[in-house]
Amino acid sequence: MSDLITIKGSRDGLRLRLDANAAWPELLSRLDHHLGERRGFFHGASLVIDLGEREVSPAQLDEMLALIRQHGVQATAIDSSERATRAAARAVGLAARPLPRYPEPMPTVEAEALMVMRTLRSGQVLRHTGHITLIGDVNPGAEVIAGGSVVVWGRLRGLVHAGALGDQSAIICALELTPTQLRIADLIARAPDRDKVSRPEFARVVAGEIVVDGWESFKR
Amino acid sequence: MGRVITVTSGKGGVGKTTTTANLGTALAMRGARVAVVDADIGLRNLDVVMGLENRIVYDLVDVVEGRARLRQALIKDKRLPELCLLPAAQTRDKDAVNAQQMIDLTNQLRHDFDFVLIDSPAGIESGFRNAIAGADEVIIVTTPEVSAVRDADRIVGLVEAAEKGPPSLVINRIKPRLVSRGEMLSVEDVLELLAISLLGIVPEDETIVIATNRGEAAVYDTNSLAGRAYINIAQRLAGEDVPVMAIPDQQGMLERLLGLFGRRRT
Repeated sequence: MSDLITIKGSRDGLRLRLDANAAWPELLSRLDHHLGERRGFFHGASLVIDLGEREVSPAQLDEMLALIRQHGVQATAIDSSERATRAAARAVGLAARPLPRYPEPMPTVEAEALMVMRTLRSGQVLRHTGHITLIGDVNPGAEVIAGGSVVVWGRLRGLVHAGALGDQSAIICALELTPTQLRIADLIARAPDRDKVSRPEFARVVAGEIVVDGWESFKR
Repeated sequence: MGRVITVTSGKGGVGKTTTTANLGTALAMRGARVAVVDADIGLRNLDVVMGLENRIVYDLVDVVEGRARLRQALIKDKRLPELCLLPAAQTRDKDAVNAQQMIDLTNQLRHDFDFVLIDSPAGIESGFRNAIAGADEVIIVTTPEVSAVRDADRIVGLVEAAEKGPPSLVINRIKPRLVSRGEMLSVEDVLELLAISLLGIVPEDETIVIATNRGEAAVYDTNSLAGRAYINIAQRLAGEDVPVMAIPDQQGMLERLLGLFGRRRT
């Protein structure tokens, strides 16, 4: 991952941090590349953009917002310690918040897992940069998108995308694995037409293909 | 203070308006004071189903915009004096009212009525949002079809997000013969997916078509199976401890009858 751009997920949503010192055009072209490469993860996402101490004009901000919109991404707020940047954000109609004086370090993808206890219904999307554990069902029409692995303690019947930031070693497991579509990293598989399988199963990538197996054959 | 209950579905054509008209009538037949409100502004038809179209002078938008008082716009039912209809405007669209206006309106209505039933438009846009804005409870109508159930699931999520509490479910147009042959989703299949409480089930029934075209609720017809089902739902809605009505399998009944004759012959 480019060190000029870092992405972090938390219970409050996604946070995109942009380096405060790199040249603006360089940063935008990296951002363009970054979002384009991880389309499966970012498309349809809303995120908070952390611009650090950089002073950004309304015109520059507009340019950046137009760029992320092209990738199907929306900004919900701008965080910055620079007053002029916050003013620019408000000028284009976005919420702007100051940064805490001592920001927490950005944790790595592996360190952060999200646990959610509810049923995900049609039209609802759960998106997180790390692993996702869901206790409940994922109904058809719902989507789970994770940078890491996905564990569903329930029926998984919606769309699930594990390793959506490019990690092919991510796995998907569920008590009932009958998704409309399975995605791991850049691979896509359709669930086979079969009768209800009522045993826990898991999906992983083997030799460039998504393979589904009974849980009993899982070995680390 | 009355209860404000919105009837909605997501998908169109599953029987929201029929359900609203029949539940409203069934509740009023029990002696409750009931107002049914058509929130489908621009595509009104609750008045048609109830046979009250030719009595409309003022509508919901007239009340919201101050051209008429609520009492002037409410239309009394032909048979039941305790049942009133607040019709939708036909010449306006969904943007003619907003959520706050609907909340104010339902708060006025709940003073004078025991039940306020709101017939929601299909879809998930502003019309739907307005229809649930003032609701205390939400009833979701679906049919045992994959597409209708999918939309119902989406609506459950939106109702929960609007903090209206868990909605209850009416499954409409069940065809017992198709279910027993495994060619239609069963009540259990629908409940397994939606995981909300079942208020009642209504069989597919031709008497509904006849009643709708006549502008008379099916609950008046004692021979109507669907009418009986709506009475059962109204009982449960009013808090009576009765089980969900079972739908007889018509083919099964016929076979049983034939079996009876057969035995006689021997």
